[in-house]
Amino acid sequence: MATYDSLFSSLGLEEWCSQGKSDAPMSMEALLAKTKGGNTEPESIWDAPFPSMDALNESCAAFPQSRELTKGLEQGFLAIKDSLSLILDPLTQPLSWFLDSALYAMLNTPWWIVIPLLLAVVYLVTKSWKLMAFVGGSIILLAFIDHYDYAMQTLAIIFVCAFLCVLLGVPIGIAMARSNTLQRLIIPVLDMLQTLPPFVYLIPLIFLFSVTESKLYGIAIILYAIVPVIRLTNLGIRLVDKDVIEAADAFGMTPRQKLYKVQIPLALPNIMAGVNQTIMMSLAMVVIASLVSAPGLGVLVLRGIRNLELGVGLVSGLGIVILAVILDRVTKASLARINASQKQ
Amino acid sequence: MTKDIKISIRNLFKIFGPDPDVALEYVRRGMNKADLLEQQNHVLGLRDINVDMRDGEITVIMGLSGSGKSTLIRHLNRLIEPTAGEIRVDGEDVLSYTEEQLRQLRRERMSMVFQKFALLPHKTVLENAGMAKAIRGYTTSDFEADARKWLARVGLEGNENQYPHQLSGGMQQRVGIARALVSDAPIMLMDEAFSALDPLIRSDMQDLLLELQEELHKTIVFITHDLDEALKLADHLVILKDGEVVQQGDPQDILLNPGDPYIVDFISDINRARVLRVRSVMKPGTDSGEDFAGDISERDNLETVLERSGGDTDLAFRVVRDGRQVGSLHMKDLTKALVPTAAATESHQRV
Repeated sequence: MATYDSLFSSLGLEEWCSQGKSDAPMSMEALLAKTKGGNTEPESIWDAPFPSMDALNESCAAFPQSRELTKGLEQGFLAIKDSLSLILDPLTQPLSWFLDSALYAMLNTPWWIVIPLLLAVVYLVTKSWKLMAFVGGSIILLAFIDHYDYAMQTLAIIFVCAFLCVLLGVPIGIAMARSNTLQRLIIPVLDMLQTLPPFVYLIPLIFLFSVTESKLYGIAIILYAIVPVIRLTNLGIRLVDKDVIEAADAFGMTPRQKLYKVQIPLALPNIMAGVNQTIMMSLAMVVIASLVSAPGLGVLVLRGIRNLELGVGLVSGLGIVILAVILDRVTKASLARINASQKQ
Repeated sequence: MTKDIKISIRNLFKIFGPDPDVALEYVRRGMNKADLLEQQNHVLGLRDINVDMRDGEITVIMGLSGSGKSTLIRHLNRLIEPTAGEIRVDGEDVLSYTEEQLRQLRRERMSMVFQKFALLPHKTVLENAGMAKAIRGYTTSDFEADARKWLARVGLEGNENQYPHQLSGGMQQRVGIARALVSDAPIMLMDEAFSALDPLIRSDMQDLLLELQEELHKTIVFITHDLDEALKLADHLVILKDGEVVQQGDPQDILLNPGDPYIVDFISDINRARVLRVRSVMKPGTDSGEDFAGDISERDNLETVLERSGGDTDLAFRVVRDGRQVGSLHMKDLTKALVPTAAATESHQRV
């Protein structure tokens, strides 16, 4: 005797309910209740369960249980999976190529070329010898404790993913800044991408792509890390001084001239702040993505957790911290350089 | 006045709000600004503006904040679209322009100077000055000589490679003026161009503008909320209040014959001796009967004359233009002209 029997009988749905009686598998709870020996005492209002799907199912067998929901979702996803991957697979294939070739290039170029090259890039964007020395010291430290390969794998993945995030994110941000409708549509998506626990991205991706393909973790990283660059591009362009925009109009700039000569240059500090965030979030995700075969320092962290190898976990964690500090300092220093030339 | 009309504004209305056309009907039937806001939830920007701006003159549009002066100037290059009315530049209807024609107008025939300077912060002073030319597709080397010339003319020689944030406000506005001059546009719109500057620099800039105008004869539309500035610069003065033209004409005329209590209030605390000029109070004619104490120019202000007379009200001066006499000025007339208008219209106000 369940609480909501009367509800269904009053609605005259008893017949419909009884149809479903036989085919629904028994839930664990029902099974337990059965073995305990059914308690048929009428329940007081205090004990009335919330009319949830499971509670209603007790009264009416035809009513779906809540596990049907997750099951339905799963089946629905599996049903469209094949056609979805048919479209997504070729579309995302370049990502695999990029990642694989970046990894290949990073690991197969001798260290005495890669390290000076990285340092040259650092100097080029920051114009600071001090920072360059710091980066050089950090990389040499990592290489000395034999974490060079792992660190370079992580860096290669971050470079590719952050680059693609900027490549896709900046135009999306610009489009958002130009249209309020588009902004209203995209912001909830960005909110969702940002709040969804990173592990949750991985589940549908595992179904869609094979775990051996590098685009699997590439997509997860890009989805997670693209949010700040979109947001800050949009914000940056919307925050461009209205007076300067008016001057651009008054002197007869075309919309394209306005975008390239005024809006993007003036939004650059914000866009670069977004790029900094994007790079940091890529680093966070590349560690998590080692669960789905992303190479790099994350693999070591995972090994540390799996085998309870405390030392391995700690050292690789430290390596990640060093990479994070390097990436953050370098992007912030180049951001500061842009800011300095834009003071008003 | 033989100069051609360069810009002509006819029956211009501007109403801000979701449905300006409906609100326009109410305004045409005579609803005032406050009622329109309260009953129709629309803001009356401009009501029935008719102004002619002549070639080579400085037309000053003056009003307090909220009077619609900045809205009005933005109609001239269609940064704001009117609700109704007509704007003609060189006889052409600007409102019928296509986007391309409008861009042409903004690029080649009108330049603008802004209250907040609105320079590009990531470009050098030189690049900012050449902005109008750069927009038209010229490279820096094409306009560099021009930009340097005008920067030097506004007193910024040697600052060409600095960035705007390295300059003071006054210097930034000089860049703004140079930018407008480099564009070679015959019309210059100046939106409260000197309002953000401190008084001494403002006065310098006014002198600079008059000096440039002497030589260039551009058609300048100047917006200000400062009556002293308006009287100093204006060839033609338009006074706006709540989106309507209260009075327009020769500034000296307005000062001597204010047509509205609002204007009387306005002019009551200005230094009349400094603003009024000899030509507007002199007795015209080549009468030489009197014993003149000396020659004065018709463009001198009364303050200079007072100074020369040493306060002696019995003197008379000969007024000359280009060395020939055009009139005479007795110090008694001068003193009369200095009596504030409020006193003159007291009987008028008592009614």
